[in-house]
Amino acid sequence: MTMADKVKVKDISKHPERQLTHIDPQDLMPLPPPYDKVDEEPKWKAIKQEQKDAVVSNLDDTIALGFPKPKTKEEEDELVRKFLSGLEKLLTRENNWTFLQPLLLSLEHCAKCQTCNDACPIYEASGHNDVYRPTYRSEVWRRIVAKYIKPGGKFFGAFKQGDIELNWTTVSRLMELSYRCTLCRRCAQTCPIGVDNGLITHELRKVFSQEMGIAAKEIHEKGSVQQLKVGSSTGMTPLVVKDNIEFIDEDMFDKTGIKIETPWDKEGADVLLIHNAGEILAWPENPGAFAVILEAAGISWTLSSDVVAYDGINYGLWYDDFQLARVAIKHAEAAKKLKVKKIVIGECGHAHKALTVIADRVLQGDLNVRRESAMTLLEDIVFSGKIKFDPSKNDFPVTLHDPCNMVRLMGIVEPQRRILRYLAPQFREMTPHGVDNYCCGGGSGFAIMSPFNFQDWRLSISGRKKLKQVLDAFADCPGPEIKKYLCAPCSNCKGQLRDLFQYYNVWEKSGILYGGLVELIVNAMVDVKEPFIEWEFH
Amino acid sequence: MAIFEHGAVKIEVDEDGFMQEPEQWNEAVAKALATTEGVDNLTDEHWKLVHYLREYYLKFGIAPMIRKLCKETGFPLKKVYELFPSGPAKGACKVAGLAKPTGCV
Repeated sequence: MTMADKVKVKDISKHPERQLTHIDPQDLMPLPPPYDKVDEEPKWKAIKQEQKDAVVSNLDDTIALGFPKPKTKEEEDELVRKFLSGLEKLLTRENNWTFLQPLLLSLEHCAKCQTCNDACPIYEASGHNDVYRPTYRSEVWRRIVAKYIKPGGKFFGAFKQGDIELNWTTVSRLMELSYRCTLCRRCAQTCPIGVDNGLITHELRKVFSQEMGIAAKEIHEKGSVQQLKVGSSTGMTPLVVKDNIEFIDEDMFDKTGIKIETPWDKEGADVLLIHNAGEILAWPENPGAFAVILEAAGISWTLSSDVVAYDGINYGLWYDDFQLARVAIKHAEAAKKLKVKKIVIGECGHAHKALTVIADRVLQGDLNVRRESAMTLLEDIVFSGKIKFDPSKNDFPVTLHDPCNMVRLMGIVEPQRRILRYLAPQFREMTPHGVDNYCCGGGSGFAIMSPFNFQDWRLSISGRKKLKQVLDAFADCPGPEIKKYLCAPCSNCKGQLRDLFQYYNVWEKSGILYGGLVELIVNAMVDVKEPFIEWEFH
Repeated sequence: MAIFEHGAVKIEVDEDGFMQEPEQWNEAVAKALATTEGVDNLTDEHWKLVHYLREYYLKFGIAPMIRKLCKETGFPLKKVYELFPSGPAKGACKVAGLAKPTGCV
């Protein structure tokens, strides 16, 4: 298919065996040199025909969910019926305590001006593929609601909203399409009347998970389910996490000469720090640097070894309100049990939004513990005068990635910047930045999803705009001989950036390392003699 | 779910080639899985890494931290990549019969 073949909204219901769209590498948004040659673009992993035949694979060239195709017409009809019943529930107060109001506004008020399309990094990076417009899936949803749910819709819905056929083909494609958006909600921010097309993706995921039991296995079965059962999505039990933190403490002593003994379950501490547990396994220097800073500043703090409470992730935020509530309650209960003054959330964007903003509706009475971002606590510490810094130790080019959940969706913009302006002499902003940032491309769970060739999609399409922005920010020193640092204070973003940089050989070609904020802070500490940042890609 | 066959070895793997039933692992399985990683001959250094991962996994039920693996085997990360080009998680763990890592790692 060429770009001349426009995909119409109602095409989603037609030709069940055919892909609705196709991605041609020629169409992708160009990257700056030396990444600009189309024939050097990494080749996508091939999916075997028998794999495609077994699962829903009729949207585009990738597969996010791998949902087995129903065997009979009856099974298909049953799934369509459940989908419709789920859509109805979304529109009732008792079944949608989280997002009913913005959803209703987004149902009624889209003026179809298409302004939001240009704000979407996936639509732009794909070379303006119609199916990835923020308005495409939401328009399908609006037409279904108008025709099949509103009174008299069978007669007037198609006339008022435009026609659509609700069949298994529509539902199966929508299922995959709800995993082609990172929920970054740049579209919502841009909309002149506040319609939230990103939210509609989220609500569709809820229907699939809550009503039909369909979700990405990395975020559900291996994610929130495993977290609630074992204690962490990583599989770490309390025993393992304690063992690992002990190792990190020793490692920090070796690296910094500062003796660290991370406190566990300290009753009455001021701060209960909750990390994304992925940090402990994959980026141990991050929780290690937190410990060094908190100890040096004399903060009274603790970790909790209660199941769930040593892993700040709350993947339910992306697809299921029930899972979200279950995890948020565990986090708050741990804080209540230890009688801490507040919870501080480590460098994890979605954990920020889940526990501070969305969980506000869940945490009633004495469960409504004070919650704070690590960004503000770190700012207070850095400017408190309790730690001596030598910013010249960070004299290399640094730019800052804004995690969508923390920045655009919560407004935590300046604390991390004030720290960087002070401690990183060559700090420079990306364009655009702050609340106008672009997603890393791994949002909403994508960073940990790699089934079939989905990794190719999330790196070459959903991560493309970010890669371009990062390269542009260092355009004055592009070569690998000058080592540069992309500060990304979010585990999920770091996972995506690691994969993105490996995919395009960014460390070798451009010398850009990624890492968190606390590592830069410790790197500038006068009391830490050896460089804390090791300039080794991992 | 797919079946992976190599010589006399026949095991269930996920779409990335990780074992679905890690308890079925043995050295013959490791040799067979290594071929999918472009490693046709497992040297003593490969085995040292694989056995370390295996023992850690049997004790704790998950893969160790990469930094711990490097420290306790004495192999710097670069060396791990030389032994298993797709790296510690996607390469070495797969050959040692561990399940695919989960969570934000």
